[in-house]
Amino acid sequence: MIEPLQTILIVASLLLAVAAGVYVALDRSPDNALVGLAGLLELGFVVQAVIGIGQVVGDDDVASPVTFIGYLVAALIVLPVGVLWSLAERSRGATAVLIVAALTTAFLVVRVVQLHG
Amino acid sequence: MAEAGFEGSTKSGLGRALVAIYAVFALSATARSGVQLATQASEAPLAYTLSAVAGLVYIAATLGLAEVGPAPRRLAWAAVGFELVGVLTVGTLTVLDPELFPDATVWSAYGQGYGYLPLVLPFLGLAWLVRTRPTG
Repeated sequence: MIEPLQTILIVASLLLAVAAGVYVALDRSPDNALVGLAGLLELGFVVQAVIGIGQVVGDDDVASPVTFIGYLVAALIVLPVGVLWSLAERSRGATAVLIVAALTTAFLVVRVVQLHG
Repeated sequence: MAEAGFEGSTKSGLGRALVAIYAVFALSATARSGVQLATQASEAPLAYTLSAVAGLVYIAATLGLAEVGPAPRRLAWAAVGFELVGVLTVGTLTVLDPELFPDATVWSAYGQGYGYLPLVLPFLGLAWLVRTRPTG
């Protein structure tokens, strides 16, 4: 798997988690900037999934392909579901859902890297 | 914005984040045990079955706390209670006898492999259920 993309995805996920944390601390509702950051990150996960699945279909050396694809697909759905669940309510707890989602995607990328190594 | 803890609702305020955490555990535990049971069930059938049970418990807790179904609060109490008993039992057994399960489960050594979140989570769940208990 291409290293730079994964580094960017992990850093961006953690950045989103910190940004959401600031919103929670300030008691602010998610605005276009925050949701836009999540959308941008989601684009990165689409790219990761396309490249990753391509590598499994090709002859690249992946430890356990089923689990590998599972993590790629999980990384795809976490942010959209998290954003929907978060935006359906205006409260600190609802905004904090974005922290949970972003930390989850960061963890998923780490697992993807581990499986490919 | 309203502060956490709308009277009687387990999916509002802080509960929303709690449901999100439970959903992550439901997804990961279920998917992981599904893959393990499908591809290498004979290696550690007890551990993988236990992982599957844990996955179902997390799904039930997620649905209950998210107020899905006819009696969500009862479902949440049962699931989170089972979760607490499960993590304490499996955690204690695996600490006393690490050889008991050849492969780790989400509850092994009190959820050590998951940053002890599986141990903390049921206490958070129970505290939330108590705090949002309907009055009267």
